[in-house]
Amino acid sequence: MFGQKDANDPAGTYEKTLVEAFMAKYPDIKVNLETIDFTNGPEKLIAAIEGGNAPDVLFDAPGRIVEYGKNGKLVSLNDMFTDELKADIGNEGLIAACGDDENYWMYPISSSPFFMVINKEVFEEADALQYVNLEGDRTWTTENFVKALEALNKAGKLTGSVYCMNQGGDQGTRALINNLYGGKMANAELTKYTVDSPENRQALELVKKLIDDKVLEFGPEINAGGEIELFQSKTLSMSICWGTSAAKNFPTEFTQVWLPFPSNDGTPELEYLINGFCVFDNKDDARAKAAKLFVQFLCDSEEVGKANVLATGAFPVRQSFGNLYEGNADYELLTAFTKYYGPYYNTMNGFANMRVQWWTMLQAYLSGEKTLDDALATFQAEANKDL
Amino acid sequence: MQKSMTREQRNMRSPYMIIMTVLLILVSLFFIFPFYWIITGSFKSTAELNIIPPHWFPMEPTTMHYERLFVEPSFQWLLNSFIMSLISMILVCIVASMAGYVLAKKRFPGRVAIFSLLVAAMALPRQAILIPLVRIMNTLGLHDSLWAVILPSIGWPFGLFLMKQFAEGIPGEMIEAARIDGAGEVNTFLRIVMPMLKPAFGALAIFTFIIVWNDYMMQLVMLASRAKLSIALGIATLQAEFGTNYGLIMAGATMGSVPIVLIFVLFQKYFTQGIALGAVKG
Amino acid sequence: MSSITYGKHLFARSRKIQRQQTRVAYLFLLPALLFFFGFVVFPMGMGIYTSFFNYTMRDFDFVGFANYAELFRDATFGRSVVNTMIIAVASVPLVMLFSLWVATVIYQKPVMSRSFYRGVFYLPVVMGSVPVVVVWKWIFNRYYGILNWVTQTLGITQANINWLGDARYAIWCILAILFTTSIGQPIVLYVASLGNVDASQIEASEVDGASKWQTFRHVKWPSLLPTTLYVAVITTINSFQCFALIQLLTSGGPNGSTSTVMYYLYDTAFRIYRYGYANAMGVVLAIIIAAFSAFQFRVMRTDD
Repeated sequence: MFGQKDANDPAGTYEKTLVEAFMAKYPDIKVNLETIDFTNGPEKLIAAIEGGNAPDVLFDAPGRIVEYGKNGKLVSLNDMFTDELKADIGNEGLIAACGDDENYWMYPISSSPFFMVINKEVFEEADALQYVNLEGDRTWTTENFVKALEALNKAGKLTGSVYCMNQGGDQGTRALINNLYGGKMANAELTKYTVDSPENRQALELVKKLIDDKVLEFGPEINAGGEIELFQSKTLSMSICWGTSAAKNFPTEFTQVWLPFPSNDGTPELEYLINGFCVFDNKDDARAKAAKLFVQFLCDSEEVGKANVLATGAFPVRQSFGNLYEGNADYELLTAFTKYYGPYYNTMNGFANMRVQWWTMLQAYLSGEKTLDDALATFQAEANKDL
Repeated sequence: MQKSMTREQRNMRSPYMIIMTVLLILVSLFFIFPFYWIITGSFKSTAELNIIPPHWFPMEPTTMHYERLFVEPSFQWLLNSFIMSLISMILVCIVASMAGYVLAKKRFPGRVAIFSLLVAAMALPRQAILIPLVRIMNTLGLHDSLWAVILPSIGWPFGLFLMKQFAEGIPGEMIEAARIDGAGEVNTFLRIVMPMLKPAFGALAIFTFIIVWNDYMMQLVMLASRAKLSIALGIATLQAEFGTNYGLIMAGATMGSVPIVLIFVLFQKYFTQGIALGAVKG
Repeated sequence: MSSITYGKHLFARSRKIQRQQTRVAYLFLLPALLFFFGFVVFPMGMGIYTSFFNYTMRDFDFVGFANYAELFRDATFGRSVVNTMIIAVASVPLVMLFSLWVATVIYQKPVMSRSFYRGVFYLPVVMGSVPVVVVWKWIFNRYYGILNWVTQTLGITQANINWLGDARYAIWCILAILFTTSIGQPIVLYVASLGNVDASQIEASEVDGASKWQTFRHVKWPSLLPTTLYVAVITTINSFQCFALIQLLTSGGPNGSTSTVMYYLYDTAFRIYRYGYANAMGVVLAIIIAAFSAFQFRVMRTDD
């Protein structure tokens, strides 16, 4: 059984052809394909895992996969992480993200940065485009970001939204807030969440002020999905949760300008997504072996591997795959963004809980229900509770 | 009789009644509006959906949202909802009428104990057993299958009460007479009891059908893969994925609500009876 | 009386027939009992049992009453209980008064229009919670929802209000939707029981020169009392089980202002994976609802 959580392709036709190709190559292995819906995917999967009906192979991100691994639900992939693979990836942070101290749980195939996007025409109309850097890597400063927001606001445009209904797409709000003044989510050792820092405080205070001045929208009733829709329908002038799959699924009538997050020193740290596969431990060695074979078939072979990377609309983790997007200016920009990848904290202990605490904190502080001190104190205590 | 008619007619024409009727019509509009808004919304273009002031009626009707909806396995979702409701309906009717009949008409050891247990269970919220039910379905290998929604719906003793209630009204002499004629237990049940329970079947059938159709929570925890979703769950999924794409979501909501509303309209008589019957003893 | 004669009758029969009758009865009961024990009693037992465990994806350790003790300290649970209570306390009188009013207006109407109105007020129930919630979500939308347009056109509000994103309004929005889905059944019940009121008593009262209100108060109301209690109980129970609305509309926010026990239970089990703790919540919820139902049975019995 091959589960995957990205349901953008409603019928799963592409996956079907993959499965057929694999079965043609290995006729003695039978693969059933199942598409799990995006929003409730994790919960459904938990139910299946809990009842011992987990799929054999699942396509997902490291955050949840490593959590399953730590909980003893997966087969260790240490044997698949050969020196050849590690050398080919050549990015310590990315490799570390695929497992915990002892085991690798996820076999990575592609990665993709999260960034922000603006509506170029609206920015032009509001005379705000002057604050945006359209050169080189397009990095820009917090100061110019605020100026752009104010210009948009003056022109009667809604700017962006700090959405926080639940954890959906919360990396966008974290990236925005962390970057404004160079704050960090966690310490360098990735053992403790450190949101209560002077940098983050300054950033949160700025965001609160912008919201109170109605220069920025506060969205406790929407998550990233809603924010992206509002951007697509031209209600908002920017989205802070943009990525290659959003770009693919939400085509716009206006010109998109992809940007890194603004930062005070002009050097952003971007969040990124790693895509990969894990193998569930269904207490059957033969099945696990077949599953690993299937994963390797999907990721490593020159032809299928590259096609799969392209299908995810992301960038290969294997450098040997080269530049798959020659001549695509947007994607070459994103390739440039990969050098701004920040530390990957999504596999830290208590990550799932931290996400709950994050939007809870945003709601509490930005709605004015709690002071910054109280909101951050609760966040620090709760998020670090089990560490 | 004559007198009471005139009293009612007098009542109907009193200024009080006229004011109340006008108020009632206004309130009714409020209740009909969401349904109206769903259907008209599904035919509005995306631009028209976001217009303020809103258009009360689609000026340039479009089927674009339905075209998008049909890319999803939406007919399968509809079919799944039908299958689940229909099977539950049939099984509940069979199981409940058999049990209701003996509880009403037979005296046997353990009858009181069983009945008390059923009464006690009626008071429990179904949701309290949600997690164990998921676990049980997993163990049975039924996770992500329509049976995972169907089976628990049959366990619920509501239908049994309704049937018992009704079966108590069957004259004992009729059953005796059948026995004297030499009819076996099964024959008596099929030929004498079941026809007598006909009105109760109507009520229970439509009740079960609508309840299972709308049992979002159970569907949510039991069904997972895209092709197995119910129509309600399908709409919820679309809303989660396409947030404010109201045209698409309203198209889904139209598909999910129009069939069940039609069924309700056709069988409203039984439905109303069911509620009134259920009320007598809860 | 009839059961006594029946008993004597039974006594007169031979033992063999009696045994056979018992067997037949149990055979007829078998399917129902199978489903009932398999999908109600057994899971209930399982829920109670596992509520004493620290039961997660990884662990299954006996912890005694620790989950229950934690419930009392859990601020979100407390908030969810309070919200649940608010919803119940606000909706019961609202639903009762409104449905009674509708019923008194429609019960004398011709059959056709009576069933039309009954259908109208039943519509939100029949449509199902998901279509109802998604359309309301659109109506409440702060940017394109019709509600903001209506309130601004009527001059009630000046700027767009974030109905679902503001803790001051969100729970009332939930309540409004819940209200529309709670009215159908009570109206049918009231219409039925108004039809049972003895017409001659009403006339006698009117002949005596009693006002409309007096007639209602002294003649109709006493016979409506059992129905009213029943309506109160089912509305309370419905409010306690309010889930789809929350899950689809607000995810319990903002600031936990719309979290209910049922929603929190779901969230705890399927997002944070604490099954034991969630089951403890389920048990508490079951006890509360069972207490309400017991209260109902008791009141109705003394009333008979």
